[in-house]
Amino acid sequence: MALTKVPEQKVILCGEYGVGKSSLFRRYAANTFVSSSDRQSTLGLDHYERQYKVNDKFIKLQLWDTGGMERVASITSSYYKFAEAAILVFSLDNPASFHVLSQHLLDIVTYAENAKIFLCGNKSDLGAQQVTDQDMETFCEQCHNLVSATYRTSCKTGQGVEEMFSDIAQHLVQANRSRLELQAMDTDSFKITPPGPEPADPSCLCVKNVKCCCVVG
Amino acid sequence: MDEEYDAIVLGTGLKECILSGMLSVSGKKVLHIDRNKYYGGESASITPLEDLFSRFNAPKPDETYGRGRDWNVDLIPKFLMAHGQLVKLLIHTGVTRYLEFKSVEGSYVYNKSGKISKVPVDEKEAFSSDLMGLFEKRRFKNFLVYVQDFKEDDPKTWKDMNPNVTTMKTVYDKFGLDPNTQDFTGHALALYRDDDYLNLPSLTTIKRIKLYSDSLARYGKSPYLYPMYGLGELPQGFARLSAIYGGTYMLDKPVDELVMENGHVIGVRSGKEMARCKQVYCDASYVPDKARKTGQVIRCICLMSHPVPGTNDALSTQIIIPQKQVGRKSDIYVSLVSYTHQVAAKNWFVAMVSTTVETDQPENEIQHGLKLLGPIQQKFIWIQDYYEPIDDGLASGIFISKSYDATTHFETTCLDVLDIFRRGTGEDFDFSKVKHDLGDEDQ
Repeated sequence: MALTKVPEQKVILCGEYGVGKSSLFRRYAANTFVSSSDRQSTLGLDHYERQYKVNDKFIKLQLWDTGGMERVASITSSYYKFAEAAILVFSLDNPASFHVLSQHLLDIVTYAENAKIFLCGNKSDLGAQQVTDQDMETFCEQCHNLVSATYRTSCKTGQGVEEMFSDIAQHLVQANRSRLELQAMDTDSFKITPPGPEPADPSCLCVKNVKCCCVVG
Repeated sequence: MDEEYDAIVLGTGLKECILSGMLSVSGKKVLHIDRNKYYGGESASITPLEDLFSRFNAPKPDETYGRGRDWNVDLIPKFLMAHGQLVKLLIHTGVTRYLEFKSVEGSYVYNKSGKISKVPVDEKEAFSSDLMGLFEKRRFKNFLVYVQDFKEDDPKTWKDMNPNVTTMKTVYDKFGLDPNTQDFTGHALALYRDDDYLNLPSLTTIKRIKLYSDSLARYGKSPYLYPMYGLGELPQGFARLSAIYGGTYMLDKPVDELVMENGHVIGVRSGKEMARCKQVYCDASYVPDKARKTGQVIRCICLMSHPVPGTNDALSTQIIIPQKQVGRKSDIYVSLVSYTHQVAAKNWFVAMVSTTVETDQPENEIQHGLKLLGPIQQKFIWIQDYYEPIDDGLASGIFISKSYDATTHFETTCLDVLDIFRRGTGEDFDFSKVKHDLGDEDQ
């Protein structure tokens, strides 16, 4: 059998501005935490991949952050495309951020029909927990068990974060076992990659002085 | 909103989103506003199907159209040249990672007899083509060989014709190509919309033909690519690039005024709020008094349940109807994409016929294109004014993009964007500023 590539699974973070999506992203990417919202630290960082091993199988989780688009505008529908999993994030001390999740859930099922959905209550280190386990359970029942699992995390202390991502990796390996085998069938679409090294072509329609002609190897 | 920005971009069409991304990457503080509540403006792919129907005041689609949200219908049909400017921009900005593409299956050209023929691009195809007689095939082959061997910096390959001086007409004549062959070469390979190029130096035309064949060499079947889920994914990709480099997005935000001081823009007002800035980048619809109408483009969106007859059941196609073949001054373009691109419900196809308007009965002008399609379940006709800025924007700090023309690819789109960026910032875009490896690295 041919060598199989380690499958990449796009995982997206969804939820209101300020619930800690970028903090989860930073914990995941660099295992750090900054207390105030410091955009600089993730500026230019698009997504981050980590490999997990689940029962002798390797899987790559590719975590995507919103880039802060949800602050005033809405997130592009592109963000959801090709996602295998979506994490609905809310802040445990902010009931409003929890109650608005049904809206985010709707976006996920609209644009990423096949994504598995997870629920994450963040900021578990804060004393005043205003969203209870019971609330979370009720939410899952209300959305017809679309939610595969629920977690409580604290990006500040790091508690529960790594556990959540390993568990999601496990869920995705199970969900994909059958699908990966089917996948070979209909995928003639592709990503554009830089062309391989080739002689510099002075004839290409290139705007003068723009370095777009030189091919990235 | 009440803050100060280096640049405010108005409208989230493809050109504005590319500019926004390039400006943010260059370290500028950017505010990007759209009056609509969706991304893309006229570059959006309309979804669900119900929205497309209501946009054109048509009654709701019935159940034969399948699920409304399986549709993503472009308003402005274009393909990407696999070796063209937009692909370079996508690669160098890393935006390509948000997208998946399919190769367009076939490229066809229409001839006087009312038939369509596959566009021959190499010697083998030229010899099996029904477009030319036997002797003409030989002459065309010689011409193709000349173009393939041509090097701008090597006069030995010029065949004694200085490409900066000799007109394309002279080059055709030297190879003895008949008017029909000239026609499909100029319109289906070099992708000119009219015949003005014949009397210009041949260099540009030769480069365009090379772009076509280089693009073809990249992925095979045709030189064109099309993104899954429609062209609306392109502006969104660049918007995300802008956002992750710190750009701020506001949708559904009316723009009431560009605030000026001594003839230079100092901000944008929305209701009682005002954002200050040094520059504004926008499409003409935000500054109607600073743009002039220079023409019209007619586009007809056709929903069909079959491919175009005579194309070997291709699931995606481009057909060019050169102006002369139907007695016009500008070409008619037909493009077709399908459910396999996630732009239509299962077994549906979306065709688009478009051209530059020449008469006061534009709907008659596209008949030659519509006739090729076979039965059409639903048609939507859209006539769009084409605007150009009245000045270069340097004095006012307001840089305006041209409307999207009738061409079927993005080459002119990218040239306009790169030109605006250069005017606005005084420099060419530095692709090395994009850290596009960061996200792709393991651990």
